Amino acid sequence: MIVDGEHTFPGPRQTVWDLLQDPEVLAKAMPGARKLHLTGDGVYEGVIRIGVGPVTAAEWTLKVTLADRVPPASYVMHVEGKGALGFTRGQATVKLDEVEGGTKMSYRADLAVGGKVAGVGQRLLDQVARMVTRQGLDALNKELEARLAARVDAAP
Amino acid sequence: MSRGHVGSSPVRNEDRRLLTGNALFVDDVHLDGMLHVAFVRSDHAHALILGVDTAAALARPGVAAVITAEMLGDYWQPGPLLVPPPPVEGLVFNQASQVPLARDRVRHVGEAIAMVIAESRYLAEDAAADVMVEYEPLDPVVDLEAALAPDAPVIHPQLGTNLAAHVAQRHGDYEEAKKGAELVINRRFHYDRGAAAAMENRAVVARWDARAEELTVWDTTQAPIPIRNGLARMLGLLESQVRVVAPYVGGGFGPKIMMFYPEEVLVPWAAMRLGRPVKWAEDRQENFFATTQERSQIHDAEIALSRDGKILGVRDFFFHDTGAYDPYGLTVPINSQCTLLGPYDVPAYHSEFRAVFTNTVTVTPVRGAGRQHGVFVMERLLDIAARELGLTPHEIRRRNYLREDVFPHTFQILFQDFAPLYYDSGNYAPALEAALDIVGRDEFRREQARLREEGRFIGMGIVSYVEGTGIGPYEGARVTVEPSGRVRVATGLGTQGQGHYTAFAQIVAEVLDVDVSDVHVVTGDTREFGWGTGTFASRGAVVAGSACHEAALSVRGKVLGVGARVLGVEPHEVELERGTVRVIADPSRSITFGQLAGHANPLRGAVVPGTEPGLEATAYFGPDHGSTASGVHAMVVEVDPDTGMVRIDRYVVVHDCGKLINPVIVAGQVQGGVAHGIGNAFYEKLVYDEGGQLMNASFADYLLPTALDVPRVEMAHRETAAPLNPLGLKGVGEAGCIPTGAVFAQAVEDALPHLALEIREIPLSPNRLWELLREARPVPLKSDEALAAD
Repeated sequence: MIVDGEHTFPGPRQTVWDLLQDPEVLAKAMPGARKLHLTGDGVYEGVIRIGVGPVTAAEWTLKVTLADRVPPASYVMHVEGKGALGFTRGQATVKLDEVEGGTKMSYRADLAVGGKVAGVGQRLLDQVARMVTRQGLDALNKELEARLAARVDAAP
Repeated sequence: MSRGHVGSSPVRNEDRRLLTGNALFVDDVHLDGMLHVAFVRSDHAHALILGVDTAAALARPGVAAVITAEMLGDYWQPGPLLVPPPPVEGLVFNQASQVPLARDRVRHVGEAIAMVIAESRYLAEDAAADVMVEYEPLDPVVDLEAALAPDAPVIHPQLGTNLAAHVAQRHGDYEEAKKGAELVINRRFHYDRGAAAAMENRAVVARWDARAEELTVWDTTQAPIPIRNGLARMLGLLESQVRVVAPYVGGGFGPKIMMFYPEEVLVPWAAMRLGRPVKWAEDRQENFFATTQERSQIHDAEIALSRDGKILGVRDFFFHDTGAYDPYGLTVPINSQCTLLGPYDVPAYHSEFRAVFTNTVTVTPVRGAGRQHGVFVMERLLDIAARELGLTPHEIRRRNYLREDVFPHTFQILFQDFAPLYYDSGNYAPALEAALDIVGRDEFRREQARLREEGRFIGMGIVSYVEGTGIGPYEGARVTVEPSGRVRVATGLGTQGQGHYTAFAQIVAEVLDVDVSDVHVVTGDTREFGWGTGTFASRGAVVAGSACHEAALSVRGKVLGVGARVLGVEPHEVELERGTVRVIADPSRSITFGQLAGHANPLRGAVVPGTEPGLEATAYFGPDHGSTASGVHAMVVEVDPDTGMVRIDRYVVVHDCGKLINPVIVAGQVQGGVAHGIGNAFYEKLVYDEGGQLMNASFADYLLPTALDVPRVEMAHRETAAPLNPLGLKGVGEAGCIPTGAVFAQAVEDALPHLALEIREIPLSPNRLWELLREARPVPLKSDEALAAD
């Protein structure tokens, strides 16, 4: 499954980069995230709860390892998720470019999905992936705006 | 005298029980203290198993056991090879059969890894979700041709290759025949099949009775006797200590003849180990992964013809997907190879296939069992040739049928019964004419032209096929006249809705001159009858039916003998009359079967020396060859070129299964088969992604045809009696679904003669057809009159 797209954050690139590395922010932004911890250099582990169409919501353990980090421009995420209803594995590349009015994020994830969730939820996987991505980006946007606002407030 | 029981369609003996909910299915078996099973199944198509953590599952209250491969000890054995490969010269066969639980690697999604046994299915499912399996994923093998590349990952390392088999068979000399050809056509065809999708999934219940030292297993199998024999061997029991009951079964269609599914091996073992009855009933989603399927073949086929459309030879190289394991040997591809020849006079044939392991669910026969693949290739080649030669589809067939006087006809290639492909009898051309008459071909062409003016597109297809049915080795039956005067028939077959309780009763009733409703048939219980093989290859009626006939004839002799003795006359002086024996010359002197049963089992005095007690006989029947059924299917469709949707308006079957025992049962088999075939042609497809994940494992996504998609079949029967069995029977169980893809393709093309549409794949779907229509280039319309004379 390919999930790709672009999103422009209304903030400077370094701020966006920092945001995307912060497990607390990511835990808040990720729909269904129960917990997410930084367990090593660029290694995030956590639990999310998510369902796909006829596949009832269930807990998945998730491990994301960041690699090829070129701050604040790009990185690669290796994703491994598994639960009682299946698994997902793959990688995503994330690029951040400075554009007028903010930072453009380009992402492309190539994920293999297996188990029940693939057999029964296939028809809805793309939609769920798009929905989760959109919700996540909206949440990140809000977080970014809050940070920028806090910075303005804190400015002398 | 004959009452005409054979050839009539009485109310079926089984219907009252079925319709009132009193037929026992395996899931109806409820036993005191019964435990329930759920399986932990692989999410990966190809992976090493690094560890299985069962601690959390075991800690859950109500869980009795969690079984992994290690815990099975010596009981962990790969399954048997059910059908060894035929003795074809130069044949390569690499065996790898399924295992009860995956031990160190998984080879398809859904392969069982652990068995969870708990007080209820709910608990078992929850506990199964607690079992954590650690995998190291391996690259999956899905594509048939890529699987044979030198650098492909190998699914069975001990074999060193993904090649499961390579078989070349030749009849005549194709290369020589091709030299004389005026037209050679060469195409690649894809034919994919789906799930059997029986209404009842598989289920197994086992009970070990420690006091009787007896194991009882209720199983949805099509082969209860071989299951009993195998379980006895594996569990170290006498065959007589194991009773396998295949009660009413809600559809078999092939996958239930597959033997020693993991669940069949594990549930009885667990019942003995735990000392409590154990039940497993497959759910619909499991069925997509745990029950065998049929799948893809890719054919590179060539036909050589003379200018007048006579076949000079056919050459076919194909790949066959055998899935992760090949326990059923080569039955499916051998059927494809042999059935391709159809009802045609093919002087030279060279066929070669490679069976290939892939990381997908194991392939074993599903209704038709590879025959439709072969029929599709041959019928498409003929259609393409006809178009090239300016002949109608029926004319090219007419010119190539084997003539009525050539039977028995033999092709020098080996069939699935290991004997040279043998056509016992047949008469093909009249079936074609009958089908054309029923369709009303001329009228259809006028209607087609008229609708075309309105911008509507209807088309007609017509194809032929043969089907090898009723193969050996043997079946048996025991017929007993009981003191009530009613007759009991026991046979070893399982029954899955074929109407055995009636068809066998009709055969026996005919011989003994009793009412069909007075003949009580028992099937599928090894306690009742312990010798036989099973219900497969459209053989039940032919083989077991013939055994019933033989046994009934012996009982008839006993009845007449005892009757004559009791009535004080010679045996030739008596006759049967509706459940009595009477003196021919004085019909008032008669005695009922019930009274005779008493005389044959005296409580005082002695049995007449040289005779046995009772009015009972057992007989076995094993035919030298299968008998060859045949038929013609025609179809009228309307195609919407804007959407790719196809509506099937009419479906005509002219079928020859030899002598009919029960025309309504035959019609039901054909109608059901056609529904299966229509599903295969336009709706059903198991879609695997490149990772070996089945992407449509539910009836929401895997489409079965509904009643709205399947017209009522217009049917005509022809009866060319089989010379190989006493009643002249041929099988009919698979006929309806064999040529459906081929006739569908031809009909769709015929609806759109303005497009150079050439369908070389099945299944189609509205989407896929729409794509093909976009690719097809327009051609000038040729009127029917421009085609050569019919």
